[in-house]
Amino acid sequence: MASGSFRTADGGTMSFALRVPRSASSTASAAADERTAIHPGAWMAWATLGGIVAFTTTNPFYLLVLWAIAWFVFTQQRVPGPAARSFRVFLIAGLLAIVVRTALVFFGTFNAANVAHFAIEGLRLATILVIFGTFNAVTDPFGVVRLAPRRFHEPALAAALALSIAPRTVACLQRVREAQQLRGIPTRGARALPALAIPVLEAGMEEALVLAESMDSRGHGRGRRSRYRPQSWNAAAWTIALSAFVAAVMFWIASSRGLGDLQPGTDPLHWPTVNVLMLAAEALLVVPGFLPRQGSARR
Amino acid sequence: MSGYGDIALSFQDVTFTYPDGDRPALADVRVDIPEGGFVLALGATGAGKSTFLRSANGLVPHFTGGTFAGRVFVAGRDTLANPPRRLADVVAFVPQDAGASFVLDGVEDEIAYGMENLGVEPAHMRRRVEEMLDLLDIAPLRHRSLRRLSGGERQRVAIAAALAAGPRILVLDEPTSQLDPQGAEHVMAALQRLVHDHGMTVLLAEHRLERVVGWVDGAVGFREGHATVGTPREVIRTLALGPPVSRLGRMVGWDPVPLTVRDARAAARAHGLIRPVTTADAVGDALAVLRGVDVQHEELGEVLPALRDASFTLSEGEIVAVMGRNGAGKTTLLRTIAGVLSPHRGEVQVRGHTPQPGTDVGLCPQEPESVLFNDSVAGEVRATLRARHVPDADAPWLDLLGIAHLATRHPRELSAGQRLLVATAAIAATEAPVILLDEPSRGLDPDSKAHLIRFLRAHAVNGGGAMFATHDVELAAAVATRVIMLAGGEIIADGTPADVLGDSQVFAPQMTRVFGPGWLTPEQVAEAMA
Amino acid sequence: MNGLGARLRIPLLVFTNVAGLLAFVWPFALPALVHPGVDHRMDSGLILVVLLGGLGGLLFTELGRGGLGPKTVALIGVLGATMVALRLPGFVAGFNAFFIVVLVAGNSFGPGFGFLLGTVGMFASGLLIGGLGPWLPFEMVAVGWLGAGAGFLPGTGTRWPVRIGALSIYGVLGGYLYGAVMNLWAWPFLTTGSALAWDPSAAALQNLRHYATYYAATSFAWDTFRAVGDAVMVVTLGRPLLACLDRAARRMRLDVRDARPAPPVDYSPARTPA
Repeated sequence: MASGSFRTADGGTMSFALRVPRSASSTASAAADERTAIHPGAWMAWATLGGIVAFTTTNPFYLLVLWAIAWFVFTQQRVPGPAARSFRVFLIAGLLAIVVRTALVFFGTFNAANVAHFAIEGLRLATILVIFGTFNAVTDPFGVVRLAPRRFHEPALAAALALSIAPRTVACLQRVREAQQLRGIPTRGARALPALAIPVLEAGMEEALVLAESMDSRGHGRGRRSRYRPQSWNAAAWTIALSAFVAAVMFWIASSRGLGDLQPGTDPLHWPTVNVLMLAAEALLVVPGFLPRQGSARR
Repeated sequence: MSGYGDIALSFQDVTFTYPDGDRPALADVRVDIPEGGFVLALGATGAGKSTFLRSANGLVPHFTGGTFAGRVFVAGRDTLANPPRRLADVVAFVPQDAGASFVLDGVEDEIAYGMENLGVEPAHMRRRVEEMLDLLDIAPLRHRSLRRLSGGERQRVAIAAALAAGPRILVLDEPTSQLDPQGAEHVMAALQRLVHDHGMTVLLAEHRLERVVGWVDGAVGFREGHATVGTPREVIRTLALGPPVSRLGRMVGWDPVPLTVRDARAAARAHGLIRPVTTADAVGDALAVLRGVDVQHEELGEVLPALRDASFTLSEGEIVAVMGRNGAGKTTLLRTIAGVLSPHRGEVQVRGHTPQPGTDVGLCPQEPESVLFNDSVAGEVRATLRARHVPDADAPWLDLLGIAHLATRHPRELSAGQRLLVATAAIAATEAPVILLDEPSRGLDPDSKAHLIRFLRAHAVNGGGAMFATHDVELAAAVATRVIMLAGGEIIADGTPADVLGDSQVFAPQMTRVFGPGWLTPEQVAEAMA
Repeated sequence: MNGLGARLRIPLLVFTNVAGLLAFVWPFALPALVHPGVDHRMDSGLILVVLLGGLGGLLFTELGRGGLGPKTVALIGVLGATMVALRLPGFVAGFNAFFIVVLVAGNSFGPGFGFLLGTVGMFASGLLIGGLGPWLPFEMVAVGWLGAGAGFLPGTGTRWPVRIGALSIYGVLGGYLYGAVMNLWAWPFLTTGSALAWDPSAAALQNLRHYATYYAATSFAWDTFRAVGDAVMVVTLGRPLLACLDRAARRMRLDVRDARPAPPVDYSPARTPA
């Protein structure tokens, strides 16, 4: 097994893992490209359970540890593409949430205890945002769509279509804008909207008809369905989901029993304490950061 | 019923009228296509060939509505009782714009999509995908995103995706119309392999007969909905259609009418034509000037040179054809002259200053529909004039382009060729001295082509200059006063059509291939022979 | 497009929407339903998770049912792509250009289609811009409702001024309502006794009052951009966009007529090319 990573042209990091095929076969070349992504369902479990951990506590120490975990997992497992940028966006949104929440103190009594309380509630919301920022940055959007069970195939397919057509829509909009400029039609301001929007929508409607014909011609809606190379729920997926589950259960129990100083009061203001066992439980969420890096599915 | 297995597709007295049609698009069509046939459907735009193809898998009438009489049987199944999805296991359809027909994002997934719909067992599906990748020679593309394929690659992936579910009949609507000559050869070779080595039945339509007529072994010709069946030679003769060599053959009375350059060479041996004297036409003052222009494209952070050290001048009275492979830089050159791309080095001037889009230069894009947003043809011209604050009392462009009779029609309801003319009128109304057209020959029927040629000549005669990018060597031969050839972003040839096209292996028009450099159009040759 | 809308079974649609409504209003309803005086802070987390899971499941069960057919799927794909394309570059404060797509498509193709487009479009754009999170089901349902509501307004066959007028007023109201509804998912995270926080032990009316204060303080100005923007878009673009969609709807609504009975099966005399 050989693995490594290199920087891609768009500034992201692409990692690869080459696995020697178990038996030489006609698909030996395919084995090198085998999808090495972690099952998106495992990521979903990680994010949801991590979100629950964040939700059960207002202890800033536990929350800040979650920030560190989210950041580490993000750096180790992010996939190339626009969604990888979302981590930074979520980070900013999280900081914004803290500021806004803290400012709300002016609607109540202004004192140190209240400021701390509002800020910590903001921090808790921000932590959830950051965890989901990581989730978005480490999953391939098409992989998430492929998760849909068989009977939800059609809406999922519509969503996948929307994803794959969107870049074409953007290109179409740019093309139309340029074409109208070259015809001397203004392309700025509300008055210019029809000249831009109508050709894009008309093109879309024609595209939809071609697509529908293509789908029907290839048997869409015959009622039977199988799936090509479904993502496998492998050992990595089990590891991620189970460790996150244990962490969430620990926090849930501790929080309902009032253990581990999960909800330190702010009145009177004091430094909360940290329980080593709870920290260990929290650390289970960092497991995906130590798994082999995900390969990139598509070029 | 003994001979039943031999017929792949059977059209039995089919008459079909579109919901808003005033005459049948197919009239009493009675054709049987045998298994293993490689059959071409041909005819002018609107003659019925596309309707014919689409009724082979039930898209007509299930996706069009309308009145359908008679029956089409596909491998014994009635298309009226079976919508396309229930014929998916016996007949595959590849539409003209393969890119728009892709449902998923990756090459492998797209190939598997049809099989998923049919509930093919996963292990079998895996094997079939591998087979399709090999059969169409696209294994290196397996993990690519469909968005990043070239036109020829897209077309081959579309064929693989259509065939994966195992149908024995393949129907393709103008599979080479968006490809350069080499790309077209690749696709036709792949189709021939399917017919010869795998016993597939292939039915295709094509405008540019010269590209396909040498490959197929049967033809169905259409005129006003009526079908003529026979060998390609017979059908082309009956319909008076054909590539330039056929047109020449008819003009000078050769019998049989030649179909290929090879046929025509044999017939032409008797006529020893000497190279005609060509002189460059006198031209007026310079309109657009490029001096040492470099243009770069950025894709995924990678800088790719799109134009390198390009220098040339477009003068009043000139019609310049820009030719070259897909990706050679034709569109980049046009957009640079239009002033929407700024050069990284060198300078671009139109009428002595940096070009102003929409006033110095008008450009009709590759998809002419990109500019159409009004609900009438006349409205499109009015919109351009309104943007210039000019009254539209006597707008001559609709007349000039032969579409005055369509003035009140909705542009979206016209044919592709007519839409190009409407877009051209809307751009001509800018009264920019330099008119550029990007790939105007796509989907252009002979009528629209004639109107476009007339417009270009009138524009040049009135002191304007025009340039068009094209793969259509015959259009370049017919109208250009000058040809420039691009390769890898560099201008590698610039001269009269006789010199540039006469010199090329790939881009030589048929008359040049038969009679040698200097001969461009059948009309010119016929005149010399008379 | 009645054919498309009718495929969605009404009872399940109602069920989904009731579930959606519950997901939004539980902060008001919960305290009244259970024992007063108990701290429900922990319950609220559980309820949020359960409701979200249930809502997601129900939503997709509904959407996946019955077979939408390739035309609906393709149309939603293309219009959803437009929403995705507009989502990131198209916003000014609370306003986003993608709302116009949901409004006109819902109005032209009907409530069922509008609901589907809103949910699928938000899901896809959430995926692409990396907006997956607990708020996503809320966004999906809220935009779905916006699209469905547009489908109940005067549609094809109404005089243009009436149709555009109704849709632009709806755009203003919808702009505010969307914001009010979307704030609910995170509001209960604020649980201190202040005049704008959720109070798990208080009566519904008092929580509603608190929420109104909270909304006015944090979101009203932001949402005004959306309300005004919707109306401006409908007035400038509504008519040509609706005309375009109406034409597409006509083209997709088919009417096949079989002019003659099938001829007796006879394969012999037809000519065969080559």
